[in-house]
Amino acid sequence: MTEERLQKLLLTLGAFFTFLFCLSPFIYMLFTGVSLRPDFLRPDIPFVPTLSHLDAVLTSESMHFLSFLRNSLIVSALSAILTVFIASSAAYAVTRLSFPGKKFLMIAILAISMFPEVSIVNYLFKLMSAMGWINTYPALVFPYVAWTLPLSLWILSSYFARIPQDLDKAGLVDGCSRLRVLLKIIFPVAAPGIFSTGLLAFILAFNEFLFALMLTTDYSARTIPVGIAFFQGMHGRIPWGEIMAAATITTIPVVILTVIFQRRIIQGLTRGAVKE
Amino acid sequence: MSKSEVREGLAFLMPLILVLVIFILLGVLFTVMDSFFRDVTYLPKKFIGLENYAALFGDRAFRQSIEFTFLFVLVSVPLEVFIGLVIALVLNESFPLRGAVRASILIPWAIPNAVTGRIFELIYNYSYGGANYLLRTLHISSDPVHWLGDPAGAFFSLVLADAWKTTPFAAIILLAGLSAIPSDLYAQARVDRAGFMQRLVKVTLPLLKPVLVVTFLFRTIQALQIFDIIYVLTKGGPGGSTMSLSMYGYLSFSAGDFGYGSAISVILFLMAFGFSLGYLRLGAFGKEIS
Repeated sequence: MTEERLQKLLLTLGAFFTFLFCLSPFIYMLFTGVSLRPDFLRPDIPFVPTLSHLDAVLTSESMHFLSFLRNSLIVSALSAILTVFIASSAAYAVTRLSFPGKKFLMIAILAISMFPEVSIVNYLFKLMSAMGWINTYPALVFPYVAWTLPLSLWILSSYFARIPQDLDKAGLVDGCSRLRVLLKIIFPVAAPGIFSTGLLAFILAFNEFLFALMLTTDYSARTIPVGIAFFQGMHGRIPWGEIMAAATITTIPVVILTVIFQRRIIQGLTRGAVKE
Repeated sequence: MSKSEVREGLAFLMPLILVLVIFILLGVLFTVMDSFFRDVTYLPKKFIGLENYAALFGDRAFRQSIEFTFLFVLVSVPLEVFIGLVIALVLNESFPLRGAVRASILIPWAIPNAVTGRIFELIYNYSYGGANYLLRTLHISSDPVHWLGDPAGAFFSLVLADAWKTTPFAAIILLAGLSAIPSDLYAQARVDRAGFMQRLVKVTLPLLKPVLVVTFLFRTIQALQIFDIIYVLTKGGPGGSTMSLSMYGYLSFSAGDFGYGSAISVILFLMAFGFSLGYLRLGAFGKEIS
């Protein structure tokens, strides 16, 4: 076999492996969510499609799935919006103003993003208890904002740095305040970067587990990941159909967003982790 | 650098600094302080110096959780970086459906850890899960395996589930590193009739080394903190064999022993922080911040 053909074969195998590796658990989830029985892989059990699990998840009062979903959407959206505004303001200072200790600040903020969650969860629990916020949205929103700020700041700074300074100088000459320049000139130009930062912050908040586990106690604030982790059936039988139907409803929107905006997400993740 | 500019810079940074200080930095400080106290529900809080740490030394469960955490990092990170490298090498070439394959690697990344845990819980189901189905259909073993039932199986199961979830991230970072390698370097290698393996060893890997190191460190920092998937899949069992430091700290907190949990968290924090310093050094961050 020639070198070229060998390489092509390797490439095809690699692409096939990647596709299979990444998608098979996901597809297994989709199928279990619409299968009458979860044990359809057994040789003697036929696969019978049904929408009953999806229906149960969406209508059952006792599962509280829709509450979890609503909580997750509100908490993640609020966190993403707040993060984007706070990070933009900081990114403006970092890219447009000169002040001492900037480099140290940026690196310290990056270091903060690597702290283990468990090393502050005890403090958050006591803080939120003292505030009377346990099992409310603010108990999650503030920690999520703090947790997604470092990455957001790094991504937005790299976007803002690419916007020509002449643009905002013109605004300043016209007598705009710096805040106006940020909102009226930089925001529109950096809109794609701001959008992808917001999307990343949303996904990170949507997926967070430990804080949600410690800081919520029931369906009035509990988010999807904790809700799904807690789904247990009665009499030791795990309701796999319902769990996977819930997982499907939860992940499909995120997966669609991710696939549509894959370039932006990849760009964002890369900018947050390594400098090109 | 005018005085008013410094003041304005501070004003624009203030919201970020406030949020980070109140919700993260004070938290770490509080945890460090709390680790020197007997802080147990229903008992008055009392300063006890290093007693929590001394107790950790004699605690078999703590030693076990240190061992598990290190072993998990040692096995899972190289595995993830290796698979990530293979995926990145594939995606760095052009082939039909490349866009679809690239989109597919983001799917595990986008799914919440807890959901990943549940999917793998089903995969590892003894009587009808996907893992035993594969073993039977591929004629590897006709006897089903109790994946989560014994320490070795549970360990392997966690490594695999975590690899599925986190390899895409490693692949994305490595892909960025690969695409930064100038293509004329490969053109020269082609002229020299270097084969695929030779190009990989002589051109790609040496140039990719900095990004590989950064990916290793980044994944190490995250793997040290593993919690979500363990919480869903094994809760630290069987027999405490998959108890990670995060899990042990969490269990201490939820049992009401905040001082002891804090001491565990401080140890984990110091370990992660050590790797973070290496990461920040080698990642050469701040080169472009003036």
